[in-house]
Amino acid sequence: MPALFPPRTTPLARAMAFGLGLLVIALPVGLMWWVRQPPVTGQGRTAAQPVAAFSHRLHTRFRIDCRFCHAGAERAADAGLPATTMCVPCHEPVWLSGREFAAVRQSLRTARPIAWNRVNRVPDYVFFNHAIHVNKGVGCETCHGRVDRMDLAHQAAPLTMGWCLDCHQDPAKQLRPVSAVTEMGYRPARPQAELGPELARAYHVRPLTDCTTCHR
Amino acid sequence: MSGAHPQEDGHRPRGPEFPPGADQPPEGMSRRAFLELMGAALALAGASGCFRQPREKILPYVVQPELTPGVPRYYATAMELDGYATGLLVESHDGRPTKVEGNPDHPASIGAAGLWAQASVLGLYDPMRPRSLRRNGRRAAWGMLAQALAPAALAARAGARGAGLHLLLEPTGSPLTAALLARLRARFPDARVHWDAGGNAGGVYHGTALAFGRPLQPHYDFAAADVVVVLDADPFGAEPNALRWAREAASRRDPEARTGMSRVWVAEPTPTPTGMYADHRLRVRAGDVGALAMDLLAALVALGTSVTAARELAAALRARAAAGGDAPWNPAWVRGAAADLHAAAGRGIVIAGTHQPGDVQAAAHLLNHLLGNTGRTVWYTEPVLPEVADAARAAATAGAPTPPGAATLAQAIEAGAVDTLMILGGNPALTAPAELGLPRALARVRQVVQLAAYRDETTAAVGAGGDHWFVPAAHYLERWGDGRAWDGTPALVQPLVQPLHGGHDAAELVALLAGERSTVHELLRAEWRGRAGAAGFDGWWDAALRRGVCGTAAPRVAPPAARLETVAGMLDRLRPAPGGALEAVLRPDAKVHDGRFANNAWLQEMPAPLTTLSWDQAALVSPATARRLGLVSGDVVRLDVSGAAGGRALEVPVLVTPGQADDCLALPLGYGRRGEDERLARGVGVDGYALRTAATAASGIVPGVGLARTGAHRDLVLTQHHWSLLDRAEEIVPSAAEAGAQHATPPAPRRQLTIFQPVQPQGADQWAMTIDLARCTGCSACVVACQAENNVPVVGREEVGKGREMHWLRIDRYTRDGSDAADAADAAGSLDDPDFALQPMLCQHCEKAPCEYVCPVAATMHSADGLNEMIYNRCVGTRFCSNNCPYKVRRFNWFDYNGEVAATEALAKNPDVTVRGRGVMEKCTFCVQRIREHQIARELGQAPPPVLTACQQACPTEAIRFGSLTDPASPVHGGRESPRAFSALAELGTAPRVRYLAQRRNPSPLMRPAPGGAA
Amino acid sequence: MSHATVLDAAPPQAPVLAPGLDAGAIEEQVLAAPLWGATRPRGGWWLLFLLFGSGALLLATTVTITVLKGIGMWGNNIPVAWAYAIINFVWWIGIGHAGTFISAFLLLLNQRWRASVNRIAEAMTIFALVNAGLFPVLHLGRPWFAYWLLPYPTRMTLWPQYKSALPWDLAAISTYFTVSLLFWYLGMVPDLATARDRAPTLLKRRVYGVLALGWRGAASHWHRYRVVYLLLAGLAAPLVVSVHSVVSLDFAITQLPGWHSTIFPPYFVIGALYSGFAMVLILLIPVRHTYRLQGVITERHLEALGTILLVMGWLMAYSYVTESFIGWYSGNVFERYALLVERPTGPYAVVFWVMLACNCVTPQLFWSRRLRRSEPVLFGASLLILVGMWLERFTIIVTSLNRDFLPSSWHLYVPTWVDWSILAGSVGLFGTLFLLFLRYVPLAAVSELKELAHELHGAPHEAQAEEARRA
Repeated sequence: MPALFPPRTTPLARAMAFGLGLLVIALPVGLMWWVRQPPVTGQGRTAAQPVAAFSHRLHTRFRIDCRFCHAGAERAADAGLPATTMCVPCHEPVWLSGREFAAVRQSLRTARPIAWNRVNRVPDYVFFNHAIHVNKGVGCETCHGRVDRMDLAHQAAPLTMGWCLDCHQDPAKQLRPVSAVTEMGYRPARPQAELGPELARAYHVRPLTDCTTCHR
Repeated sequence: MSGAHPQEDGHRPRGPEFPPGADQPPEGMSRRAFLELMGAALALAGASGCFRQPREKILPYVVQPELTPGVPRYYATAMELDGYATGLLVESHDGRPTKVEGNPDHPASIGAAGLWAQASVLGLYDPMRPRSLRRNGRRAAWGMLAQALAPAALAARAGARGAGLHLLLEPTGSPLTAALLARLRARFPDARVHWDAGGNAGGVYHGTALAFGRPLQPHYDFAAADVVVVLDADPFGAEPNALRWAREAASRRDPEARTGMSRVWVAEPTPTPTGMYADHRLRVRAGDVGALAMDLLAALVALGTSVTAARELAAALRARAAAGGDAPWNPAWVRGAAADLHAAAGRGIVIAGTHQPGDVQAAAHLLNHLLGNTGRTVWYTEPVLPEVADAARAAATAGAPTPPGAATLAQAIEAGAVDTLMILGGNPALTAPAELGLPRALARVRQVVQLAAYRDETTAAVGAGGDHWFVPAAHYLERWGDGRAWDGTPALVQPLVQPLHGGHDAAELVALLAGERSTVHELLRAEWRGRAGAAGFDGWWDAALRRGVCGTAAPRVAPPAARLETVAGMLDRLRPAPGGALEAVLRPDAKVHDGRFANNAWLQEMPAPLTTLSWDQAALVSPATARRLGLVSGDVVRLDVSGAAGGRALEVPVLVTPGQADDCLALPLGYGRRGEDERLARGVGVDGYALRTAATAASGIVPGVGLARTGAHRDLVLTQHHWSLLDRAEEIVPSAAEAGAQHATPPAPRRQLTIFQPVQPQGADQWAMTIDLARCTGCSACVVACQAENNVPVVGREEVGKGREMHWLRIDRYTRDGSDAADAADAAGSLDDPDFALQPMLCQHCEKAPCEYVCPVAATMHSADGLNEMIYNRCVGTRFCSNNCPYKVRRFNWFDYNGEVAATEALAKNPDVTVRGRGVMEKCTFCVQRIREHQIARELGQAPPPVLTACQQACPTEAIRFGSLTDPASPVHGGRESPRAFSALAELGTAPRVRYLAQRRNPSPLMRPAPGGAA
Repeated sequence: MSHATVLDAAPPQAPVLAPGLDAGAIEEQVLAAPLWGATRPRGGWWLLFLLFGSGALLLATTVTITVLKGIGMWGNNIPVAWAYAIINFVWWIGIGHAGTFISAFLLLLNQRWRASVNRIAEAMTIFALVNAGLFPVLHLGRPWFAYWLLPYPTRMTLWPQYKSALPWDLAAISTYFTVSLLFWYLGMVPDLATARDRAPTLLKRRVYGVLALGWRGAASHWHRYRVVYLLLAGLAAPLVVSVHSVVSLDFAITQLPGWHSTIFPPYFVIGALYSGFAMVLILLIPVRHTYRLQGVITERHLEALGTILLVMGWLMAYSYVTESFIGWYSGNVFERYALLVERPTGPYAVVFWVMLACNCVTPQLFWSRRLRRSEPVLFGASLLILVGMWLERFTIIVTSLNRDFLPSSWHLYVPTWVDWSILAGSVGLFGTLFLLFLRYVPLAAVSELKELAHELHGAPHEAQAEEARRA
């Protein structure tokens, strides 16, 4: 009676057995790695905007404070976007000219808002409050990155829950003087290891890890 | 960046009074866009996090208004019902009114807001509201109507003096409307105004007119009254001034009160919130209340209350007292009440229901007069509704009950005197006594203009022939106006949004008739400039809008001499009806009122106080009567009234209800709606109005009702099926005595039995709640308030029937006796004269929460400040937590209940609270969103007001107190350590943060101690 | 050794193996189905396959509906938040127990008669577990997040909540399933090899060849095989006890009257074996007939199983009594109501009494040896016991939940058509899998049987068997 399988099937079988075992390990590990990557978290993702030529880089170069346009950041949950008329005073001279301003002109003419695309988004069940962070010495840069080096803003942080908790469990390491919250490229005057805890005491900042701190 | 609400909406703002997006033409593209935008953004709120996040738009303003996006603002306004205004503060999120609260500065609210005010937000966003003005059923423009109603056009048809012009209005205290009507009459002297209401607004004046010869507005000080005798009235539930009266009375139901506990005697046909306060509750047929009042009077005279200037009357009364006996009620009750009133002369109140015949109310007034209560605990002012009062006086002198406006109108139409009819309020085709044949009559009027919130029964009756107009009415949150409280205090009504569907209101139309084309806003300012004076008016105006009150209460008047002689007549008229004869009591419903709120899902789904009936209507019968007639709950019976109008019949299921008077059926009105737009209300219950005749319309008391079983059965949807506490009273809701006994036994040894360490509170705040059962009337305002604040979904009749209602807060009601009503077909004998126990039941926020340790994914956790947190987005829905919750206060999203919410309804959602999706557990959070916002504000160095939970804020009797245990000033401490304090199911060791104060009654020594509550 | 244990155990007993049944005959009989597709009443097989298959389809449909619309499609509510899904889960898990028990315990206890039934029992275990595994996931409000019960580093930096019984439940079941599967498969390897060698067609040879994992029956193979088999048996035995104990904790860790009880673990394990053996009988009896295996599965087996049922029945009765007694003895009003009022007299009293009849009265039949050996009686009784055990879970879960502490929250539970369909469907799935097993897998441990034959009927067949192996 002839052999059912040629001899070379033996190593093949062994390889398959080994591969199967490997897959069992590798698949979940790979998945866990993948969901932490930018393509999934959206880190680094940007969005096309109606005013394509808008540049944060340019505006910050003119020493315009973040809060000049994002006025809500200090007093409300939402940082907010500037009303169309905010653009007018500065841009008056170049007003009528310039194709890049079409959307702004349109908005003023029709009294319809400019529809910007959201870049930094947390899920609907997360209730983030800008005011409390800004007033406790968490810099814009800490979450939004070097906006002064961006033209169109892009998502600087992964914005995952783990990322939030990293700071909520130990806020001190991210605190800066309130006077410097909007500063880009901030360097602590003294080592953060000692400055952080001091600021935390001064601003009554403590770890907040109750679920309802963010989820309500 | 709370994703649950859209960033901003993009519309030209006009300052805070006009929220963004409110100023677009009703039919304009942009308004629809506004709604879609909101709808869409809110729809996102349902979606839970997934890999691909939806692209979201951010729409900044074009011109930044004076408000910070995302920060809610509060506007003072007022809601008018049955002619009386109640002041409110309405929360507005980026231009969306989302939540109604009471206005602490308003005398009729003092910070509380009732059911109907709470639910009115949903009414505003009801997608079934009509969206356009119609002429003969076809869309028409306001301009066309304005032309048709131009004074010239009217004069041409209705005669120069406007003889053919008739108006039908609901009673209103609005000074503006009064002024406009005056101007209209100046223009058309012969124009006639008919006042009509589903309820009985005129009743109160009928009583005073009989007692004093002229109509007056009675006022009571329940905080000062040591003895209160209630004769089929509901001053703490349904009366227009109930919020205030309930709070005053509550201050005397608290055994720890400095002023001491009041004693409340209630005689009523069917259980009401007021009845829950009774120390001695007498079940009596509504028709017999008059006779009872006479017995009371007689008993008082026997006790020596002097009846000056009526010697033979006094004799007659003494005779009656001596005779006594024949009455179908326990004479001890009458003697006891009389003794208390006599002893507390000048410190007592006798109050009769405004729906009771004038005689009975007059008797109550006379009793107060004789006892010297008048001027102390009871006083009078000029009527707040003068025109209604005049009608009542006329009726009183004629010795007939006040005829509904519908009747006078029907006569006018029969006489062919009506050319143009303006129906500016009410739903006469539904509420008018059937034998008037009003629906048929309406169709014959040449020109009818109907202003209504929905195309209703009247719209159908008017039909589409001739020259018939339908004008969608503006919601009170959409319009300018004014009104007066029960005590006469005027208040302004200011809009929170522009009419969503281009609604109009009565004042606008009356002005139109009077030839004035200016907007209501202008008319209102003009009116009040006239009253407040032009000097510094703008300042006055802003202040008035901010406070929500623009004047003071009406001055007291010394009542004219009481007409005791009328009593003689009453003695003959007021006799108890023969036993066995079945009586029907038809009153506006506790949920849908006279039917106007029938299309409001929150109210329809709310378990009716005490019966817990949801999405349903039933005729309430007492267990004894049920036994006599061989009925069980759900049996459909056929009720018919013979006599006037040849008799009509109605088929309705019965519900056996403890505390109901024997031989008395209570059938709530406002159901069985047939309106074209009110699709939600259709098919719910039957139309009780059909049983009323012109004679019985005012009182709603229909004697001699025939009852026949049909053999049919309807499964009534109840949220609580069982009445009995079995042998568990001490564990669940002990009486004050039992609670005290528990405290007597030192808790220490019990503590040592536990293997757990006691909880060590960390965190600055330790949130807790104290609920005083002695103050709770079971009015259920808290239930709807919670639903509105926390985006609690509506699930509908079928789901509620399956036991899937979603309310985070429910009012448990029990009877203190051993046997189980539900198992004995709801008719256990001991339930005939029950001692009710109420218990608002919500998440107890246990320090040792059983739900927490069984959740496999840590979706319910304990916060440092003592909250039992529920995290929807972590929940996988094992429902293990619910199984292990001994209070069963957790609710589960069996389906995607928020999935098919209409775009407009989505606008009612609270953006600070996650809208839950399918498959997750939810429950009371102690309004954690309010707590966290408070803490953030505090951290930002602002000085925020103390946290109020939605239920606490709505509660008229301040039964619910909330705060941090670490804050010695917090009201939560009130009575928390008193002997009345107890925890539900304490023996389980769950250590709840909610603590109850046991109910305590104040029985008369003359009566056998009331069961249970006695202490 | 085994000689004595098996034969002299009880002389009047029926033999474990029909006398004169040699190795060849055994192979003939056992391998008939897989190799020559010789399921003699073919029609019958197809009929059953159609029946159960459509049941499986029904399951697929109703599960899809449930996942698409939500578990609102079921009758569950608050307070009865758990119902059919969990009942079915516990029921199937229980049934799954007998297989491993027979294989592992009886092997360790050297009960040789198990050889002819263990394969079927193990298959039953696997298929029951397939069903049982379905429900815990299906009953979730959001089944697509079921993996959150697994301990792995998430982006949320959250871990399962180990105080809850459910993560342990998941672990216990998956472990049990894995071990049972390995045990079953390992036991089959020599038979698959035999099947490979005796298969008529090349395809079948190839397929069985792959499945046999290159088994050549070398002494080294047999050596390792015995070692591993024994090891797995040692591993599986404690699992039989642990799994259902953990399942019972899903209830015992709560404070719900009727669940809050310390006797649950043993109580559940006994119940599990009880239903398991009943199911074994239900499967054995028809198989024995259809495949003419009276020689392999003898009356001895039936009798043994009947006796086990009798013992188990009494153990159940004892558990019920204890449960109620503790309820009374606790002096706690809630416990007393749940166990002494609600169960015997409440709205679901019928279920309770039928359960008692099925589980405690039925087995009393087996005092009589004649009935112990009568196939119809055994079959009928087993059916009743299976029903009774399902009702027991209904009583524990629904009857406890529908009336707990606050009368205000009491509410009845009424199953919907979806509930019933899923229950029927899961039976269908089980049947379908089992029928396929009968058709394609050696339904008894040929190698073990041959050993047994060798031990019982002496050496003469040795050579024959050897050469059969070599071929």
